[in-house]
Amino acid sequence: MGGTNARLAWLFVGGSVAFFSRQALGEPLRLRADAIAEARAPAGLVVLQGQDRKYPWVDAEALVWAGARTDPTADVLVLSVKLRAPRGWGDLRLGRFVVSTGAIRPLAIDGFSAIARAPWGLSAEAFSGFPVVPRMATTGYDQASGGRLAQTITSRATLGVSYLDQRSHGRLADQEIGADLAAVPAPFLDLAARGAYDLLSSGVADGLISGSTRFGQFRVELFGTHRSPSRLLPATSLFSVLGDFPSQVLGGTVRWAAAPRLDLLLTGGGQDIGGELGGYATMRGTLRLDEHGAGTVGLEVRRQDVPSSRWTGVRVTASEPLGPYLRVSTEIEVAAADGRSDRGAAWPWVLAALAWRPGKGWEAAGAVEAGSTPRYRFEWNGLVRLARTLEIP
Amino acid sequence: MSDRFSILLALALCVGACAGVLGIRREPSHAFEHRAHVLKGVGCLSCHEGIATAGDSDPMHFPRTADCVKCHTKPHDERRCENCHGETHVRGSAELARRHLRFEHRTHMPSAQGDCVRCHVEVGLERPEALRPKMAVCFGCHQHEDQWRTRDCDGCHVDLAAEQTLPSSHLVHDGDWGREHGLRAASARDLCASCHSERYCAGCHGVGVVPALPGRLAFDSVRLSGLHRAGFRARHSLEARAQPGLCMTCHSERSCLDCHAALEVAPGSAARSPHPPGWLSTSRGGGQHGPQARLDPMSCASCHGGAGEKLCVDCHRVGGPGGNPHGHGFSSTKDKLVDLPCRLCHGGL
Repeated sequence: MGGTNARLAWLFVGGSVAFFSRQALGEPLRLRADAIAEARAPAGLVVLQGQDRKYPWVDAEALVWAGARTDPTADVLVLSVKLRAPRGWGDLRLGRFVVSTGAIRPLAIDGFSAIARAPWGLSAEAFSGFPVVPRMATTGYDQASGGRLAQTITSRATLGVSYLDQRSHGRLADQEIGADLAAVPAPFLDLAARGAYDLLSSGVADGLISGSTRFGQFRVELFGTHRSPSRLLPATSLFSVLGDFPSQVLGGTVRWAAAPRLDLLLTGGGQDIGGELGGYATMRGTLRLDEHGAGTVGLEVRRQDVPSSRWTGVRVTASEPLGPYLRVSTEIEVAAADGRSDRGAAWPWVLAALAWRPGKGWEAAGAVEAGSTPRYRFEWNGLVRLARTLEIP
Repeated sequence: MSDRFSILLALALCVGACAGVLGIRREPSHAFEHRAHVLKGVGCLSCHEGIATAGDSDPMHFPRTADCVKCHTKPHDERRCENCHGETHVRGSAELARRHLRFEHRTHMPSAQGDCVRCHVEVGLERPEALRPKMAVCFGCHQHEDQWRTRDCDGCHVDLAAEQTLPSSHLVHDGDWGREHGLRAASARDLCASCHSERYCAGCHGVGVVPALPGRLAFDSVRLSGLHRAGFRARHSLEARAQPGLCMTCHSERSCLDCHAALEVAPGSAARSPHPPGWLSTSRGGGQHGPQARLDPMSCASCHGGAGEKLCVDCHRVGGPGGNPHGHGFSSTKDKLVDLPCRLCHGGL
């Protein structure tokens, strides 16, 4: 019962923002504020976004969240301005945003990113900035720079090469070259691959490959992943020197629209984690209860079987509108780890939610969740969300 | 054989009984009877008066009851015709297009030569899915290859992200999309940006400070699937161990430490250790911590990174009792006496 410390705290997040002169806006300035309160750990999110329709060469957006756990805290996730050249020849992003291009994994920076595109399919992208430190903290001499050069070939394939150089306290923390490929060799076949090579420890940091096809009501995908955890860590970390014990997956996914309202998904694969073999499988079914999918019922069964993690999970979901404005939904899950454990053999969890959407503008939802975790035999939590969307013409 | 037949028969009966639920037998709805009007030879402009000269910002030209009663002089009901004839989502789709597409009927009418069905191809169908032409229909005349290459969508789309477009010609986000999206976005991030704003990515990938906030906010959207749905807190360590390194795609090292410190499951706290018995041993091999650290060094770094590395250095420094921690496949271009982290262990030589 230790988890029921009812530190119910409300958070109110509000404000106004004016990215541009109101008279200049053809496209409405969109604002959205969400406030969420939890009995357990209050957190809040406010989303502010603006976009100019009359002048399509500029838009700006912000995503800020604030909350309170033991202490009040806040962070800025996005605060960026994007300038666009006419006819899509190029973009320039300034501010705080997430860089992710080619084989470069997502990286939040304060800086700039510029891309130039040529009509014959060549594009060049460069970025540079300071990696964002959580909770408004700062560190000195951190820096990340990189870029990608890509060529599209007859609308059938795109081939790119990328480079990343990242420094922590002035020391080289990551230096990678990467390659990426997306190709549609035939109308029914879709291929994609990307890989990054760590120049500091001379090895493949990560690699992903996927091929998918559609026929009838089926979509079939075969995929493979390779991840070298020690090479994904900054090279300044002591834990990056423990050797190369990659984690690899080879698997497939089948999605079948079995009936107009019934979707089935089966995904699974074999795993090799540093020489230890195993696998996983997930089966999911979703049944829409009406033509527009307003009501749904879902069932998901999962099995994970690798030496370090063996467990089975079942999840059931149901959602149904109660009239035009109300929606009731529930979610039940039971996860059971193999073998008896001092932290419980099975962890059930249940949620019941009621949402109210009276139309454009306001939105409110409340839920109660309860369950068992490795830490507590029983814990419950109450959740309330209030959202307000504004469009200022 | 009879058992098989019985099973097949039972299955067929089940499917038949559930035909309505599965959507095999569709519920009757009141799509507007365009086909009947077309077959009767009623011209489109007879009802959609003024559409031929309509510009981008002119009002919609949906027929009203007054237009219907010009021909249907004895209506079977006193209520407005559009209450039953025609579907709300069809009108909604057209209104969305008016807001978010740069399109003028008047500039298209000369080339269409009055043949509206040339673009509105589904008007003649018994059960049209959409009356608004799909993008592929536009491409029948407008190739736009250069615009496609340069992601120049603004020529037609005013605000693609707000348009709620699900173009069938694009990649559809089905299957195991949570795993697949990163790979698909690698070569086409700017294509993703045509519809998704920056905050969409940052909601998960932003600076490692968001402890599953998007999923937490959408607690009532139970249809969503993802890594952090349902009782994820209970099984997060099992998930992390099954996919070494995956967590770091979105979370910083600090994410683990923040949460564990609050729950008093962290180095230096008085509460229980998250490590199982036999984790650290003074006997040969040192217990389980070595092999597990090699398999998933990130999970070690999440609590023992930074100043916590001293814990490892005390034993594994050159000449220390812990021995050489470098496993097979280790290589480095660094200067072991000067660079970090090498000098922590090698610097004292």
